[in-house]
Amino acid sequence: MARRQRVLGWEARLLVILTAVLVVFGLASVYAASSALVERGRAVGATRVLDQLIGAAAGGLLLLLAARVNLDRVRQLAWPMVLLTGALLVVLVLPFSYAIAPRINGARRWLNVGVSIQVSEIAKLAVVVWTAMLCAKKGTEVRRMRRGLLPVLTVVAPLAALILLQPDLSTAVVIGFLALLILFASGARIGHFILLGMAALPLLWRQIEGAQYRVLRMTTFLDPGADRLRDAYQIDQSLIGIGAGQLFGVGFGQGQQKLGFLPYPYTDFIFSTIGEEWGFLGVLFLMMLFSAYVLVALRLAAAAGDPFRQYLGVGLAAMIGVDAFLHMGVGLAIVPTTGLVLPFVSYGRSGLAIALIATGFLVNLGTRRRPVTA
Amino acid sequence: MPRLPSRITVIAVGFGVAALAILARAAHVQLLQGGQWRQRAAAQQTVRVALPARRGTLYDRNGVALALSRETFGVGVAPREVEDVARTVSLLARAVGRPRAALAAGLRAGRVWIEWPGPYTWSTVAPLKHLRGVYLRRRLERFYPRPDLAPRIVGRLDARGRGGSGLERAFDSILAGRSGTAVMLRDSRGQTYPSPSRPAAEPVDGADVVLSLDAELQEIAEGALGAAVAGTRAAGGDVVILQPATGEVLALAGVRRAGPVGAGGSVVGDPFEPGSTAKVFTAAALLRVAKASPHDTVYAERGRYTLGGRVIEDVHGSGYLSLGDVIRLSSNIGIAKLGARLTPAEQYAALRDFGFGTPTGVDLAGEASGRLRAPRGWTRESPASLAMGYEFSVTPLQLAAAYAVFATGGLLLEPTLVREVRGGDGSVRWRHRVRPVRRVVTSSVASQLAHMLRGAVEEGTGRLAALGTYPLAGKTGTARRNIGGRYVAGHYTASFVGLFPAVDPQLVVVVKIDDPAGDYFGGATAAPVTRTILEAALATPTVTLDRSRLTRRWLPEETSAPQPQRRSEVPVVVAWPPRTGGSGGAGGLDPGEPAAPRPVPPVTGLDVREAARALHRSGFRVKVEGWGSAAATAPAAGAAPPPGSTVIVYGELGRAG
Repeated sequence: MARRQRVLGWEARLLVILTAVLVVFGLASVYAASSALVERGRAVGATRVLDQLIGAAAGGLLLLLAARVNLDRVRQLAWPMVLLTGALLVVLVLPFSYAIAPRINGARRWLNVGVSIQVSEIAKLAVVVWTAMLCAKKGTEVRRMRRGLLPVLTVVAPLAALILLQPDLSTAVVIGFLALLILFASGARIGHFILLGMAALPLLWRQIEGAQYRVLRMTTFLDPGADRLRDAYQIDQSLIGIGAGQLFGVGFGQGQQKLGFLPYPYTDFIFSTIGEEWGFLGVLFLMMLFSAYVLVALRLAAAAGDPFRQYLGVGLAAMIGVDAFLHMGVGLAIVPTTGLVLPFVSYGRSGLAIALIATGFLVNLGTRRRPVTA
Repeated sequence: MPRLPSRITVIAVGFGVAALAILARAAHVQLLQGGQWRQRAAAQQTVRVALPARRGTLYDRNGVALALSRETFGVGVAPREVEDVARTVSLLARAVGRPRAALAAGLRAGRVWIEWPGPYTWSTVAPLKHLRGVYLRRRLERFYPRPDLAPRIVGRLDARGRGGSGLERAFDSILAGRSGTAVMLRDSRGQTYPSPSRPAAEPVDGADVVLSLDAELQEIAEGALGAAVAGTRAAGGDVVILQPATGEVLALAGVRRAGPVGAGGSVVGDPFEPGSTAKVFTAAALLRVAKASPHDTVYAERGRYTLGGRVIEDVHGSGYLSLGDVIRLSSNIGIAKLGARLTPAEQYAALRDFGFGTPTGVDLAGEASGRLRAPRGWTRESPASLAMGYEFSVTPLQLAAAYAVFATGGLLLEPTLVREVRGGDGSVRWRHRVRPVRRVVTSSVASQLAHMLRGAVEEGTGRLAALGTYPLAGKTGTARRNIGGRYVAGHYTASFVGLFPAVDPQLVVVVKIDDPAGDYFGGATAAPVTRTILEAALATPTVTLDRSRLTRRWLPEETSAPQPQRRSEVPVVVAWPPRTGGSGGAGGLDPGEPAAPRPVPPVTGLDVREAARALHRSGFRVKVEGWGSAAATAPAAGAAPPPGSTVIVYGELGRAG
């Protein structure tokens, strides 16, 4: 292979900086949200943040790798990735695999093979890569139902269904949404989406009705304060935390909501902790970081050289953006309570690693390779 | 592919809109509603925890704790949280005193919580402090080391830990201290954490109250009274023992067979008609307005006398009696006749001056004032009735305070139950100072009366109170009980008031027996109780008695009561320099007595009481300010103010205020 000189465009550099700031901010936030807690009779102290630091280090290596890898190779690996992900997701729902896929907090999301891996995070990336690959391959054919929408659905829907079985409604929805967004970016007809939406509504509705707690989740969203059962309680506590932050926040580490009032204060509701401790200024800062990230990523996508890279860029930008905005929306009670983490920030090594890989791929998009020879 | 950038723009715009929506919502929640959310946060995150203040201790005058607050601990175990089971079991076994096997089985039984309420002391449970799964619950517990000792006087706490009765209630504001508050952080399970950043009011421990009660004397009094009430099958009885020089109450005992007792205890809440014990007050009234002298005689009609259509009888009929004899023999006829010399205003004023009809101001809730009608409410029979101790009612404490007048040289002192209030750090916050209410009689009249009272014990009705060792002054009383507005035959209140010793009395003892069966005379029922109490007190070395002064008992026998006919003679008390051994007469000097000016003796360094006595002996009235040993006098030693003028003795302590 010929030696090539890598030149990072300003977007890629900015993206790296944004990522670094987010990760550091995330580490601080995880520390603030977790250190004062006592779990299973032990003080958490720095254990969570150290775990996360390991995740950040590993993710940093993956970022470098993703930034250097030839994206065409990645495209070629799309099918194996998606199949492997599917296999792993199957393991999570098998009845006899509890030894490596334990039920935690009512759901089987983690695969315990030496390290604990949250498979749905990998599934997100795999689906983005695969859908980008497929849309790039189909070209203008995505405008045709049978060539565009349906093939995507036939692969993504089973994956989403497997994730739904964990159960993890929100990630399933996000995965579907990401695939559709890439489809949309690739030029699929708007009419198809409308059709799909109308078709999906009863399906989705039945799904939501299926599980009791999801019903509650939905009614909670429609009428918070109606009861204090779990999710309404969670939303209420999240708002108390964020609201109490006011403009300047109660101060780093001074938040009280994490002391048992707020569930999952360093994962699903870390935004609430941040809002409490840093106030509206912190929220604004965080929103600016994520908005900048998404816009820069989309800009990279638009400027990418080939359709796969474009779609990949859009998918990755959306993967970070959708998760981040949904997470914030949950914390502010404008979106039903879901179990989504805040990319780069929330505790969770799988999520952090995947987000860093996404940054890596995006940096990859923004890297011009000037062959030294030829 | 012209569409792509535009579709990416659409996506970008979509994200932008979402971002703005989220920011708008955040601004709404944090900036507009922020105050409300912060209030809710504070409401659920913080809790004001009352930090209990240690309640002060009630001591008797000698430092014996009567009621004290102890810090005790209960032990709770959450077996599921226990990590080191073997160690926990062994430490628990030692602390709560259970066999290890049983404890281990208990921990394994799958229970969520096991509790041993204790109470355990800190030293017992201290080893458990840092064990995981073991929780110590601190409590402040009121503890009465001698629960049988004056429970009604000492009182008890109510369910909220405030003083519910007795002195616990009377001094609640002093004893209770001030609870502090801490703002604790609270998590969702209600567990609290200290919050160093938030202000907390430190609790202020309650002050200790040193009572004037003498626990030993109290116990003696209660024992003697209980035995007497039981022995005479009486309905009840009261005992008050008072230190006349200071007004300090040394013992308060009240027994009732049945029925409710006033809130302040029967001793201050339950007035009775004193009967003959009150005759001495009429004698005092006569002497102080000089309408009689101790040797004025009256014909006692041989025991039966009709006054205004009303028959007055004496138990032992007599002929001519002096005033002293009237008191000594408790002649109703004699006191009625002599009392008739007084105008109603004089008689009334004397009884008022002795403190009847007015609460004494002692620190007990529910003190009764007793009943004493003003002359306009009197009937024709009232003067005689009052002279004999009827038609007015007194509490035992009032009676004791009034008799103390004869021991203080004529001053009525406010009785007190408190000697000192000490802060939590041991500093003295307040100290009782002798609080004279008024001068009731001159000191010479007082000593004359004391002399008469001594006669009553040695030769009169109170013989059964007499001790073999020391002279006692006193007066018996037997009053028909007024039940439902009528005096009922067969129901009596027997009483005895003693001054001990007869010379320079250190104790005033009031014993009252309600409705004794059998021999109902005060001389037969109440007087022996007094003797029993005094004998026991003398046998108990810790009882508040100045034994050095007791040994001087016989010295002033001849001079103890300066007789009026000796007025012109040079009193012994002018001997100069005064012999501190104390051969001076106890009587002091009548202010009206013609005598040459004499110098104020040097008393600096003496105890203020000694100093006051020395000054009394020199014929001065004394006002004491402060406590401890005398630091100075005004006028200073060596000055020669007119006799009978007041010399102020400044104690080295507690002069402020």
